[in-house]
Amino acid sequence: MKPPAFEYLAPVSLEAAVAALSNEDAKVLAGGQSLVPMMNFRLLAPSLLVDISRIPDLAYITEDGDGLRIGAMTRHHAVEMSDVVRQRFPVLHAAMAHVAHLAIRNRGTIGGSLCHGDPAAEWPGLVLLLNAQLKTTKRTIPAGDFYHGALATDLADDEILIEIQFPGLAPGTGWGFEEMARRSGDFALAAVAATICLSDDRATEVRIVVIGAHATPLRLTAAEGLLTDHVSIGAAADAAMQEISPDSDLHASADYRRHLVGVLTKRALAAAWKRAA
Amino acid sequence: MEIDARPKMIGARVQRLEDPRLLAGQGRFIDDLNLPRMLHIAFVRSDHAHARILEIDSADAAAKPGVAAIFTAPDIAGLWNPIRATSRMADYHATELPVLAHDKVRYVGEAVVAVVAENRYLAEDAAEQIMVSYEPLGDAIDAIANAKADAPLLHDDAGTNVLAARTFHRGDVDAALAEASVRVSGNFRMHRKTPTAMENRGYVADYDPGRRALTLHSTTQIPGIVRDALVEMLDIPGNRLRVVAPDVGGGFGGKGALYPEEVLVCIIARQLGRPVKWLSDRLEDLMTTNQAFDEHVAAELACDGEGHILGLRAEVIGDVGAYSVYPWTAAIEPVQVVSFLPGPYRVPNYLGRVRAVATSKTPTGAYRGVGRPISTFVMERLMDMAAAKLSLDPLEMRRRNMVQADEFPYKTASGIVWDRAGFMECLDKVASSYESLRRDQTAARAQGRWVGIGLASYAELTGLGSRIAVAPGMPVNTGTETATVRIDSTGAVSAYFGIASQGQGLETTLAQVVAEELGVRVEDVDVIQGDSAAVAHGTGTYASRSTVLAGGAAINAARAVREHVIKAAAHIFEADEGDVDAADGQVFVKGTDRGMSFRELARAVYSEMGRLPKDIRENIELEATRMYDPYFGTTTPASHLAVVEVDPETYQVTVQNYVVAEDCGRVINPLIVDGQVHGGVAQGIGAALMEEVVHDGAGQIQTASLMDYVVPTAAEIPAMQVHHLETVLPDNPGGFRGMGEGGTIGAPAAIANAITDALAPMGIDINELPITPERLFRLIDGK
Repeated sequence: MKPPAFEYLAPVSLEAAVAALSNEDAKVLAGGQSLVPMMNFRLLAPSLLVDISRIPDLAYITEDGDGLRIGAMTRHHAVEMSDVVRQRFPVLHAAMAHVAHLAIRNRGTIGGSLCHGDPAAEWPGLVLLLNAQLKTTKRTIPAGDFYHGALATDLADDEILIEIQFPGLAPGTGWGFEEMARRSGDFALAAVAATICLSDDRATEVRIVVIGAHATPLRLTAAEGLLTDHVSIGAAADAAMQEISPDSDLHASADYRRHLVGVLTKRALAAAWKRAA
Repeated sequence: MEIDARPKMIGARVQRLEDPRLLAGQGRFIDDLNLPRMLHIAFVRSDHAHARILEIDSADAAAKPGVAAIFTAPDIAGLWNPIRATSRMADYHATELPVLAHDKVRYVGEAVVAVVAENRYLAEDAAEQIMVSYEPLGDAIDAIANAKADAPLLHDDAGTNVLAARTFHRGDVDAALAEASVRVSGNFRMHRKTPTAMENRGYVADYDPGRRALTLHSTTQIPGIVRDALVEMLDIPGNRLRVVAPDVGGGFGGKGALYPEEVLVCIIARQLGRPVKWLSDRLEDLMTTNQAFDEHVAAELACDGEGHILGLRAEVIGDVGAYSVYPWTAAIEPVQVVSFLPGPYRVPNYLGRVRAVATSKTPTGAYRGVGRPISTFVMERLMDMAAAKLSLDPLEMRRRNMVQADEFPYKTASGIVWDRAGFMECLDKVASSYESLRRDQTAARAQGRWVGIGLASYAELTGLGSRIAVAPGMPVNTGTETATVRIDSTGAVSAYFGIASQGQGLETTLAQVVAEELGVRVEDVDVIQGDSAAVAHGTGTYASRSTVLAGGAAINAARAVREHVIKAAAHIFEADEGDVDAADGQVFVKGTDRGMSFRELARAVYSEMGRLPKDIRENIELEATRMYDPYFGTTTPASHLAVVEVDPETYQVTVQNYVVAEDCGRVINPLIVDGQVHGGVAQGIGAALMEEVVHDGAGQIQTASLMDYVVPTAAEIPAMQVHHLETVLPDNPGGFRGMGEGGTIGAPAAIANAITDALAPMGIDINELPITPERLFRLIDGK
């Protein structure tokens, strides 16, 4: 479990980093929490690692109107500890406790997790839930367009994610985040995140995202459409189970994942409903 | 000088002497050892489970930078004498134990080619270039299929895949079953585990051509056994072959056997005249360290109308993997499943049959508990099943059948003799909160919560002496240990042992024993262990033996030295020996102000010429070597109680509460005993809920990283209450019973019973472990 030889470059500007990525088989190194193990397993053998950790001003959490802009090199732990995140996006704060273990949260970055694109990871689902925009060195991509499949994103080879822009939530938005994993810190067998806005005890704006039970993070639009009043939570959860195409693996069969998505959708919606004002 | 009381170091919560070193990163582990000119090995390992090796092409690899040599099996033939794990047991077939696979491979991960290079990176680069072609020989994955006569043979010379078969028999089981009021039975399955020590296996061999001497630095638990085996395999005399186990980061049995890589580093170091290192990475560890707990058990229990056991019948198939491991053999685990199945209960009629079946998987060996986690799981499930059928409380069911105080020594149905120990006392202790826990459970159930309570009782034989081999019929004496206690010319005390700590705190416990007996302070004693050169014969640390055997030897040796300390001091003080005492590092005449430190005494004895007359001096030996042999061994009973809650929708299991009462005799250090119980229970919870080595149908290992082989973390382990009973053990110098494995023995059974209890309204029996959320989903979904 030693990687083959590779070149290592630590540029101090985005321009230099992008230029370096024009080399064949070059890869961006952010926190290294997924890339380095894959290199040790020799599943990936990039010829050049472009370490972007020395480029200034890529790690920040900045208020932007009602929303937030978070730099791609921001560590998970910084988000977990941020007061403004806790105030404006409590669902992000709650989800951070499920992102691996403290040592990994200290090193791993949001941008790294998003670009790695593991469908069982929390971040890809969270940006979809919160309708975030992903700003790169070339353009800005809506979260809904970012993933093509498991571990496959819309990024070009020489494109670097630099910022995630979260638009503000409507006042009174309720939220829920429910995850089932074998152990604390493991990848989700399934997780469901939801936000709800209410008006006169009727749901007006609903977003439901499933994590770990589909090839990509997935918005459950049919379930969203079925949620009208509190009683309809069960119907929405039933619909959620039909919207996904889960895989079987060592830890959970497709059937069990589907079952879990039903349970977790119900719980996430109930929690969101309770929190919505 | 007056010192009132002997320091009571045995029984004290002494902080571990090794911890400052280990916690500050000052330990010295195998990977900290970097010798000049040292070479590194990377292996090409089989990616077939059962295949003939057709061709190995290593030409490209040999030309890669930094490569010193490449070895295949033919390259090392003649450089070593093969060894087999033999046994006097009838119906046992030893297998070869290849250092590199020759002719055929028998599991995925078996070493085929060794690439030796200037560093591990270059060795792995070159290994990638080696092409091995195979001819598949047919699947031999399933133990039940392999036991049949027409199955493909893994070892042609054995003539069968059934490497060992044994039957234990008492009374007339058929008649007992026929007359029984109640019969319960089940097909029980424990899936394969791997020990996953924090530190992987690793070896450094250093050959000195000038002295023709070899030193092997090894993560082994058994330096003495490895040394003795290597003497035979390498034709190097024992005084020039030393096996040193430095700080070792956990073993749990997985480092308690002779390994191919361990032999190979020695062969290559001697051949190349340079030190050679191999350190397993986690992938290799999960593929090649001996695995365990892979049994199919069909069992039936019969009782009378009051729940008294009448008979027990069991048929066990143990999946032992590809080779019979040295020195324990492939029989070690499966046979113990059957010999311990009757547990701590009176079982008048018993028939237990076991077959150890070779499969094309990683070999199995010892893992904490060895067989008894499975036997206890099966027996304790049967006890609960019978209790349920009789509408008897599980606690009462155990009370009615457990061996009582007036029945010791009690010979079990399989022939094991239980010595006097706190069987019922342990059960009573964990039961002290039973009634209130049941009330809490009733309240929780009324709220729709799935809460269950599970009990498990067992007894184990620990500290085995020379009467009973650790593995049946093995030719290695595991029944004695030796200690040398020495006071040197500066008064410092060194104690030498043949055991090998892997983190159990033996440096501390043995120092406590020596200090107590000799009359010095704990920190004055340096414990030297994990080195085959420390004493003439010693086998190591395994089978819950080190405190019993090495502790007994330490007492015997320290008492012998103390006699001479007193004798020398009496002469110097011109006092009667009976008036001289030693405590806290001082030797003194009782009731007077005359005394001296051990340092002053040692100087008087060794260095100050003329201080003692010649005839006295020649008869003062401040060094003694003594042995201890517990003969049969010591009986250690325990009872466990688990409270679990199952999420009624996700089926996630949470262990809410865990209570252990165990009787390990006189407790030397309660901190360390608690730690051993906590760690053992944690591994048992892993066995019950999470850990499973998974192979696909072609024998490919699916659990090849710690993301997929799921071990519990601290977050999954509850706080525990541990109660120690200290039943006196006559005819044993320290009164110590072994206890290192017990936690792992009781926990799977207690958890399985607790989950079954939680699901009782649905009538679901948990007879397969680990009981993962997926398995629970299928069981509940099927209802």
